Amino acid sequence: MLRRFAAVIVSLLLAAADLSAQDHHEHHGHRMSSDVSGMTMNENTDRLPSECAEISGHVNLTVHAGRRHAEGRPGAMFGFSDHVFEAGPCSLVTVTLVNDDEIRHQWMIHGLPRYLYPGGMFHLETAGGTRRSGSFIVPGDARTYLVHCDMPQHMEKGMKAQLLVGGGSGDLWAVPGTSDAFRREDYLGTGDAWAALGIFIATFLAGLILLRRA
Amino acid sequence: MSRFFKHRWLLLAALVGLVASFPPQWYPDAWRIELSQWLGAPAYRALPESEPAAPRSVRAYCPEETPDYRAEYNIAGVRISASPVCQADNPWAVAAFVRGTNQVGPEVLMKSGLAPDTVEKGADLDGDGDPDEIHIRLEVAELNGASPESSEPVMQFEMAPGIKPGLWVFTPRYVGMATENFESLRAREGIRAPSPAIRVEQGDRVLITLENTHYMPHTLHLHGSDHAFRDVSGEGNDGVPIASELPIMPGQSRTYELQLRNTGTKFYHCHVQPQVHVMMGLQGLFIIEENRPDNWLQTLNIGAGHVRASSVGVRAQYDREYDLHYTDVDAELNSMIQASNDVRTVTESMHRRYDVTEATSDYFALNGLSFPFTFRESLVLTKPGERIKLRVVNGGRDGMGLHTHGHTMTVTHRDGIASPPAARVTRDVVWIAPAQRLDLELDTRNDGIGAFGPGIWLFHDHGSRAITSDGIGPGGHISAIVYEQELGPDGWPRTSGVSWDPFFTEAYYQRRLPVWEAYAPGWFGEAGSDGRLLLRIILMAFFLGLFLALLMDSARRA
Ligand SMILES: [Cu+2]
Ligand SMILES: [Cu+2]
Repeated sequence: MLRRFAAVIVSLLLAAADLSAQDHHEHHGHRMSSDVSGMTMNENTDRLPSECAEISGHVNLTVHAGRRHAEGRPGAMFGFSDHVFEAGPCSLVTVTLVNDDEIRHQWMIHGLPRYLYPGGMFHLETAGGTRRSGSFIVPGDARTYLVHCDMPQHMEKGMKAQLLVGGGSGDLWAVPGTSDAFRREDYLGTGDAWAALGIFIATFLAGLILLRRA
Repeated sequence: MSRFFKHRWLLLAALVGLVASFPPQWYPDAWRIELSQWLGAPAYRALPESEPAAPRSVRAYCPEETPDYRAEYNIAGVRISASPVCQADNPWAVAAFVRGTNQVGPEVLMKSGLAPDTVEKGADLDGDGDPDEIHIRLEVAELNGASPESSEPVMQFEMAPGIKPGLWVFTPRYVGMATENFESLRAREGIRAPSPAIRVEQGDRVLITLENTHYMPHTLHLHGSDHAFRDVSGEGNDGVPIASELPIMPGQSRTYELQLRNTGTKFYHCHVQPQVHVMMGLQGLFIIEENRPDNWLQTLNIGAGHVRASSVGVRAQYDREYDLHYTDVDAELNSMIQASNDVRTVTESMHRRYDVTEATSDYFALNGLSFPFTFRESLVLTKPGERIKLRVVNGGRDGMGLHTHGHTMTVTHRDGIASPPAARVTRDVVWIAPAQRLDLELDTRNDGIGAFGPGIWLFHDHGSRAITSDGIGPGGHISAIVYEQELGPDGWPRTSGVSWDPFFTEAYYQRRLPVWEAYAPGWFGEAGSDGRLLLRIILMAFFLGLFLALLMDSARRA
């Protein structure tokens, strides 16, 4: 009897702890569920985009995030394990974000239809060393969506990616491993300029001599 | 020979034209005096008209983004005093910092924007009614940084109209987007300069986890606050890479431990390449309050400024408390993070090309902002007859002579150490060395010594540079002691001097507006150009060209 009573108390406490640990809110119209390890915003597993008659398929994406994924990309500091994702039109996409760092990272996609996703976004956020999954349904037209980590300077220093739905509508700028930076430095020293000047002078003089001979 | 003869007249005509078009105002003075003896002074010729005032866009003085933040609140059992300036601090964030982000309900946490573990409060170790286990989580944010996609800075934080230097700050951990929204480049509320003021209680067991979200190595050095050189596990705890431990690499975190036996206004900053990192903004106030019963502290004060939930000890002695954090910016250094998006190039320019021994400061901020934005939030408000505590830190490169109009200040503490009452000095200029903290007391009784009565009384470094923004005044960190009766309903002081429209115009700080145009239109406007002088110069150029061409032609033929 006492043990059963204790078990009831424990389960009640656990339920209360669970309630307080997992908060579900409406914030600025966003649907958000959060806890100490992170946050999921605007998850959607059943509401279809207007052009979709049904969910066409299920795409599972496991994405690692962290500094180690910038290795081999000179000048960058953060990265995802993949920077290009693909999904068929009207498919249900489940993203599992695995955070390999000891700091916060995000997987945030923009440009989704606002009547389903407030602000046009779906967002996963993970504290360091945690993982988190969430799902959303993509529209039916061929389009490229921006994916990034919105932490200050993380996208700029490597955490930019794209999701191609139905083959996409072309590449975005500055996707690591896929497309070039729009702004790019010269990476040349003064010695390089002198070399170019030397070659110019040599060619000019050689040309003069050759033309005089001809 | 005949052609030379033909050209000779033309040559002569060009020479005459050249001499005749030469502007008389450029003749040697002696000639001009001699000429006037013969011909009298030349006729009056008006100076050029003033240029018409250029169209400009004047910002709203007070944008009224969060007017509901100003009122007095009681949130989660925390009494939050009114803060009737234009842009008050978020009262829900204040409540979350007082109760602990792990203790307030989801509603408060949501309105604060903070994560549940940003400021965790635990056990009451001494049984006096307040938590003594405090765990703070900080991240590092870059403001006005580079982007591989555009030359506009990203994560924008504007110090003054159009002034957006690159900055690094410690920030509490928020949830979600770092910008206001996806369309905006502006940093969200709370991610701003300066780094927050941290408040803990004497005897507290404090953990500070620094999660290095930035792309460079950083540490936390707890300047003046009681902490062991090594933590319980034997690892370095002082944040000094050349003495105690390796810096925290990007993506890593480290927890620093403090057990505070001392009290007072201290300081914290990064100690990696400190000549650069501290000046970039990785510095903040660290305040240790006396241990009192039921002493629930506002663990973080975002952007410093008004303390809306002061400690028991401060409330016993003072009517209000303000954290005043002064910093300065060398545009040469702070633009380096905007010039490149390659972490190697940025590191090279900041840590090898930049020479701090030749540095000069260009911008000066109080609590992250320069005039006129200081008036949106960093006013010291008072009523007649109040006692006000100011905790001031000079985070800049050089010493500063802080001066208050209409008031004197009494220095009660230096670097957190109380001055004996007999040794307390009262001044209207106090000198503050770099990294020094002064606790100042204002007594606003109108007695002709402490205060001269109600008004809008400026306070600023009396060194001339810091009252300008890159040499344009008024700018820099000018703010004011303002009596509440002088405030409008939007928290804006009802000044009776000149219009502030120019100061809320980007063009003013880009040196493109005449300084007194707003109240003396016409008199000190931009002088137009002298069309007649220009015509003479064009004619001169024409005749000179003609003359030289003819001369060369003649020489060739001769
Ligand atoms: Cu990230
Ligand atoms: Cu640093």
